[in-house]
Amino acid sequence: MPIQGRKVAVVGMSAAVPTCKGLDDFSNKLFAGESMIRLWDKAVARGKQMRSTVAGYITPEEMDLEPIYNAVSEEYPETFIDLQGRIPDINLATADMGSIWAMIGAKESIEMAGWTEAETRSEGTGVIMGSGGGGHEILRVAWHGFFHEGKKTRYAGSHTVDRAMGYREAANVSCLIKNRGVCESIVSACATGLGNIGYAYRLIKFGLQDRAIAGGIEGTALETFIGFDAMQVLAKGFSPEESSRPFDLKRNGFVCSFGSGVVALEDYEMAKARGAKIYGVIDEYFNNSDGDGDMFAPSFAGQKRLWAGLAAGGAHIKPDVVKVHGTSTPVGDIIELLSVADVLGESGYHISAPKSQFGHMLGAAGSVELIAALQMLDKQKVSPCINSETLNTELEFFQLKDNWKGPMKPVAEYRHLIPQQAVEKEINQIVCLNYGFGGTNSALALSRDV
Amino acid sequence: MEDRKQILKDLLEVLKTVRTIDPAKLEGVTEETDFLADMNAPSTELINIAVKVEQKFDVEFEDDDIDRLGSKVKDVIDLIILAKERSK
Repeated sequence: MPIQGRKVAVVGMSAAVPTCKGLDDFSNKLFAGESMIRLWDKAVARGKQMRSTVAGYITPEEMDLEPIYNAVSEEYPETFIDLQGRIPDINLATADMGSIWAMIGAKESIEMAGWTEAETRSEGTGVIMGSGGGGHEILRVAWHGFFHEGKKTRYAGSHTVDRAMGYREAANVSCLIKNRGVCESIVSACATGLGNIGYAYRLIKFGLQDRAIAGGIEGTALETFIGFDAMQVLAKGFSPEESSRPFDLKRNGFVCSFGSGVVALEDYEMAKARGAKIYGVIDEYFNNSDGDGDMFAPSFAGQKRLWAGLAAGGAHIKPDVVKVHGTSTPVGDIIELLSVADVLGESGYHISAPKSQFGHMLGAAGSVELIAALQMLDKQKVSPCINSETLNTELEFFQLKDNWKGPMKPVAEYRHLIPQQAVEKEINQIVCLNYGFGGTNSALALSRDV
Repeated sequence: MEDRKQILKDLLEVLKTVRTIDPAKLEGVTEETDFLADMNAPSTELINIAVKVEQKFDVEFEDDDIDRLGSKVKDVIDLIILAKERSK
């Protein structure tokens, strides 16, 4: 059970975001309305094998990492050299690209939080992070060597398991920071990032941990991209920077992206007592399932129950901004917008859809977008929903069905909620929403410390 | 004996590419040096060293060879010589 009155503070954060060098750069691009999406040379190189070629990717070089390739395959990064000397070689040996981003993020978040070594290594410190896990370049090369080249298993190297296992990011971070509390992963597809932070919040709120490093990661992998490209759900036909266009009439899919978002959470009173800077306070977290047996389709009813669950926890939920999942897929965006409007009404808040700028980071989406929300709290600005140029003036097909129980207005009627440029305003609370395959929904309410 | 010296020299070249071994630990390596105790190599790294050795010396070890492999430098040198003789 939650401990009455116990609050959870965000005291540190770090993000790896395509084209961005650090948090300030990310924040500046976010509010300037810049796109972080590019043509991906790795996808382009595959020619007609690929349907879509735009992505939000991060290369090893952009993270100051140098891959050391295995002699067995020139595509197999046996390990990496950290050109900035942030991560020891012994930790790099057990890490894939995403786990290295997670370790860098954890280190930067702890530094920002100002935790002592004793605090970090205590039983009161947990590590909760994970990735969506849709694809993995480590496994590709390992399996190729065995199945196609007939190599012995040992040619895959002794680090295939630790570099590819389900909770690899958490395990690598825990080995780096040497915490003695829990080390676990929540994996819930595109709700993973928010799910891990929500679970870490609960661990602190329930008194099981005093602090936690939490987040979501999606390491750059062509395999992940291929999976979604095969489903024909990726954006196509626009310039890279115009490809992700939540709510826009011409949207035709999401932009597959990669990145990492890590936050340091701490019991509010402990953080206050040691004079820590508090970047935000988590008011409540709630998650549920659609329950309709559909792996992919969004559920209006499920999302409405999500809001009801968020409000039932006792926290006052009256957001100034709703940071939506807003992927730029034809069906998802409008169901989400209408569920928000059905719950909150038609005014008094703005919609922020940061995927319009950096695409869909899958397992990292929820955590990087939460960091975007923290930037909104800090700067008192709503990030713009770029490319949402034309909104449908007609009702959606599902609004015409007999069983539709939501608003009966076309999306264009909600134009005032969706800014195309950054909006300066007083922001005291932001609700972050993320959903994932399997019908999983998650919501987190975040407030400014006042 | 001369062969063993050359093998040790070549083996050191291999070990220099193993990033989990501190380069300082490669100073003064002898056949009695222990990968785990003296070089502080993680035990999981031994299999990677074995694969690199197979590539460097163009030999192939049997699984049983590796299962029985000791953790000293001389154990690896013995195995390289054995594998070379087996392939003749």
